[in-house]
Amino acid sequence: MNSELRARRNALESLWQQGLSGKMLLREHTRLVDTHIAHNFENCLDAKNGMALVAVGGYGRKELFPFSDIDLLLLYEPSVENKLTPAVEAVFYPLWDAGLEVGHAVRTLDACLEHGKKDFFFQVAMLDARLLAGSIDLFNQLVNLFQQSFVEGRRREFLNNMLKHRKRRHKSFGMQNYLLEPHIKESRGGLRDIQAMIWTAQVIFGLHGLSSMENAGLLNNSERRRFDSACDELIRIRNGLHFVSGRKNDQLYFEHQEEIAKLFDFKPSKGLLGVERFMRDVYGHMKTVAVTTDFFFEHVDEVLGITLPTIKDRKLEKGIEIRHGRIHLTDPGLAEKKVYLLMRLFARAADTGLPIHHRTLRLVNDRLLLLNDKVRCSRRMANAFFDVLKKTGERPTVLEAMLESGLLSAYIPEFADLESLAQHDVYHVYTVDSHLLQTVAELNRLREEEPNIFSTVPSPEILFLAGLLHDIGKGQGGDHSKLGAELVGLIGKRLGLKKDEIQTIIFLVREHLFLAHMSMRRDLGDDAFIRRCAEKIASPDRLAMLYLLTIADSKATGPTVWNEWKGALLLEFYLKTVQYLDTDRNNVDTSRKMEWKRAKLADLMGDNKVFDLKSLPDDYLLSFTPEEAYSHIRYRKELDEKKLLVNSTDLDGKWSLLIMARDRRGLLSRICGTLALHNLEVRSAQIFTWADGTAVDVIDVISVVSMEYEDQDWETFEKDLHLAVNLRLGLDYRLGRKTAPMKKSPHCLNHATEDRVVIDNETSDTYTIIEIFSKDRFELLYRITKTLADFGINIFRAIIGCKADQVVDVFYGLDDDGRKVIDPDFQEEIRRGLLYAVKDVSKK
Amino acid sequence: MKKIEAIIKPFKLDDVKEALKEIDIKGMTLTDVKGYGRQKGHKEIYRGAEYVVDFIPKVKLELIVETSQCDKVVECIRQAAVTGKIGDGKIFVLPVEEAVRIRTGEKGNEAV
Repeated sequence: MNSELRARRNALESLWQQGLSGKMLLREHTRLVDTHIAHNFENCLDAKNGMALVAVGGYGRKELFPFSDIDLLLLYEPSVENKLTPAVEAVFYPLWDAGLEVGHAVRTLDACLEHGKKDFFFQVAMLDARLLAGSIDLFNQLVNLFQQSFVEGRRREFLNNMLKHRKRRHKSFGMQNYLLEPHIKESRGGLRDIQAMIWTAQVIFGLHGLSSMENAGLLNNSERRRFDSACDELIRIRNGLHFVSGRKNDQLYFEHQEEIAKLFDFKPSKGLLGVERFMRDVYGHMKTVAVTTDFFFEHVDEVLGITLPTIKDRKLEKGIEIRHGRIHLTDPGLAEKKVYLLMRLFARAADTGLPIHHRTLRLVNDRLLLLNDKVRCSRRMANAFFDVLKKTGERPTVLEAMLESGLLSAYIPEFADLESLAQHDVYHVYTVDSHLLQTVAELNRLREEEPNIFSTVPSPEILFLAGLLHDIGKGQGGDHSKLGAELVGLIGKRLGLKKDEIQTIIFLVREHLFLAHMSMRRDLGDDAFIRRCAEKIASPDRLAMLYLLTIADSKATGPTVWNEWKGALLLEFYLKTVQYLDTDRNNVDTSRKMEWKRAKLADLMGDNKVFDLKSLPDDYLLSFTPEEAYSHIRYRKELDEKKLLVNSTDLDGKWSLLIMARDRRGLLSRICGTLALHNLEVRSAQIFTWADGTAVDVIDVISVVSMEYEDQDWETFEKDLHLAVNLRLGLDYRLGRKTAPMKKSPHCLNHATEDRVVIDNETSDTYTIIEIFSKDRFELLYRITKTLADFGINIFRAIIGCKADQVVDVFYGLDDDGRKVIDPDFQEEIRRGLLYAVKDVSKK
Repeated sequence: MKKIEAIIKPFKLDDVKEALKEIDIKGMTLTDVKGYGRQKGHKEIYRGAEYVVDFIPKVKLELIVETSQCDKVVECIRQAAVTGKIGDGKIFVLPVEEAVRIRTGEKGNEAV
C-alpha cells in the first residue's frame, strides 16, 4: 500500500518535471489520492452503510498541492458507531503509514454542527465539501444542514467573519519577515485571498467561480483574465516551492527563490539577477490578486452596508464628490476633457484622508491612455501631484492607491520600471516602488519630528519629489544615483520646475547616499573633511534636504536599517557641516552681505575713484571687515613705489603678519622660506589675490625660539623678505646651513599618520584644489610651496591649518596656462613631487 | 585564552578590520554602541534648537585569541584605531576560562 502511494507521488513529480503545471497538476494529484482512498474505503464493504467519506478544504476543491494536508471527514450515523474501527483502519492507517499529512475528523451530523458553530474555518471548509465514497444521502444532509445553519439569512455575519479574518491574516503575514520572503498562501495577494473572494462570492451572491463572477459584472473581462493568470502563476510557484522544499512549505525563503528562479529558467538581464526578475513577477502577481480582491471586498461591504459612513456627502469640486465616506469621480466625461481631475482625486483623498471609491479607481485605470505628453507637462497636473506628495501623511496610502490605479506610472513613465522591483539581499525588505512611496511618507513624518530642520527647507515639494524619485535609476545596472540624476532632470523639466529647482533635485538624487556614507566612514573631527563636504553641498538648504532625505530613505529601507546610533552620527555630521556653511554666510544671504560690504567700502573710500573695487574678489571681502579692506587698499598705493609691504602686529600673543606684494609665481614659497629662516612657524594663513594682481597674505605665526614679540628681530626679517622676493636671497643654502631651532615644535607626537596629497577638481568651478596632509614639520610649508612653484602652479588662495599633530594645507591653484590641472599624469607627478618634498623635510 | 574588547571610533572600523586580517585574525563580534568617557557629550545649538549629544556613537569589537597572540592583536588594533585625538577609545583584555565550538564540540584553543 505504502509503496503504491509512494509510486503515485513519484509519478506526480515526474509529471511536474515534464512541465505539467498549475491547476492541471493539482487535479492530477487529487485524482491519484481519490482513487486510492475510495478504493480502500470500498474494500471494507460492511462499513459502507450509514457512513460517508468527505473531502474538505483544498482537497475538497480538487486543489491538492504536492505536500498539502489531505483533509478528510468521516461522517457517520450514530447507529453504526460500532463499525467505525474497521473503516478508520482501512482509510486513515495507510495514509498515516505512508507518512502523509492527514487532517482527519470522525463526526456525526450533530457533532459537525456543534463544531461549525465554534469554528468559522470549519464552516468555510465545508463550502468545498466533496463526497469521496459512501452514503450520498448522508452527505446531502450535511450540505443542507450547513447551508441552513450558517448561510441562509446569515450572510452578513459570514462576511463580517471573513473580513475580520482577512484583516488579521494580512496583519500577521504582512510583517517585515514576510516582505522579503512572501508567504504564497497567507500573505496579502496570496492564494488565500483568492479563495476568500471565491467563497464570499459563493455565499453572498451564490456565484461559483470567476466566470460566473464576470457574467454577474463583478469583474470585467480584462480583470478576470489578468486575475486568472496571476492565480495560475501563484499555483505554479507554490507547486514548485513544495517540490524544492520537499515538504509543506508555503513561504518563499531566500534559498528557494534562487532555486525556483533557476527552475523556471529566469535569466539575468538588464542589470537584474534572474532571481530578481522572478521575484518581480511574484510580487506583480500578488499585487494583481491583492488589488482585485480588495475591490471585491469593498464592493460586497458596500452592497451589504456593513461599514456605515460617518462623513456627510458633499461636493469637493466640479466632478469630485464625497459619497458614503468615499471619494467619487462623478463626471467621468469631464475628466476626459480635464485630465488633471484624475490627479485631483488623489489630492482630495490626501487632503480629506478618505479613500477613493473602488469604482472610481477603475475609472482612472480605464482612462490612463489620456495621459499623453501634453498632460505630463501640464502645470495643473503638476500642482495636483505636488499636493498629493505634500499631504501624503505618515502612511503612503494615497500614493499606493495611485500606484495601484496605474496613474503614477502613467504620469511618470520612468516609475513603471520600478514596479514590484525586488533587490535580492536581506537589507532591502521592500520592493523599490513601495520603498519610494514609504520614503515620501517618512519625509512627511519628519516634518513633525524634526520641525526645526524641516522649516529651513524653502520648497518642501522638491524634497518630497526627491524622496519619491531618489531610486528612479535602479534596476538598470550601473550606478543608480548617477542614472537617477539624469532621469530626474528630465522629469523635473516635464513637471515644470524652475532651473535652480531642477539643479537641486538632480543634486539630491545624485548624492542621496553621500551623507549616509560619509557620516559612518569618515572622521567627523576632521575639519578639512567637513569643509570639503560643506563645499560640495554648498548651501544650508541643500544640506537640510539631504539630511532629511537620508533619514527618510534609511527608515523606509527597513526598521533594522535605521537606529539611533546612526542618527547620532548623522546629526553630528549635519550640525558640524551646517555651522561651516552658516559661518560662511553668517545666516545672511551672501549677496546682500557683499552688497553691504561694497557700499560700506565705497563710503570709506570717499572721492578716491582711482581704485576699482571690482577687483576685490568676493571671498576676500567675506574674510575681512570693510575697515580692514580699506586699510589694505591704502597700503596698496604704497606698493606702486615699493615692491613689498610688511606689517606685523601682536594681538594678545597672536602674531599676525600682513604681507602685500605684486603677485608673481613663487611669491608664497619665498615668504614661507623667509619665515622658516627666522624661526617663525605658520599657524594659519589666508592668501588672496586681487584681480589687479595684488597679493594680500595674512599669516598668523608663532616663533619656535623667542617667547616675546619684542624679542623677534622684525627689521632683519623684513630686509630678508625684500631680498627673497626680489630673488636676491639663496633660501635653500641658507636654510641648509642654519642650525635647527633648539625648541622643537611642541606637537611632535610619534605615531604614523601617513602623508597624503589629494588633488580635487570637483569642489571648485575655477580652481584645482590641492590638499596636503602631513605631520607638522619645520620648513614644511616652504618645501610644499616651492614644489608647487616649480610645477608652475599659481596659488590664488591658501588655507593653512595646524591641529594636534597634523597639518592640513589647502591650496587653490591653476597651472602655468591659467587652467585647472586635469591631466592625470601631471596630477600624479605633482602628487609624487609633493610627497617627496614633505618626506625630504622629515629626513633633515 | 583572552578576550579583547575594543571600543573604537566608527570610521576606524574598516582600518582595524583590515589590519586584523593582515595578522590573520578572521573572526570577531561587532556591536554599535553609544557611551561617553573623557570625551564628554556636548550640546549643539542651531537656529535656536538645542541638540544634546550625550552619548557618542562608537563601535565595540569583541574577539577571543590565544594568550600568546594577545599583545600582538592589542597593538595591532591600537595602531589602526589611533587618530591622536580625544575619543579614540579603549581596549580591554579579559581572561577567558573556556571556549566551545558548538558544531564540533572542540574546546579551548581549538575552538577559538
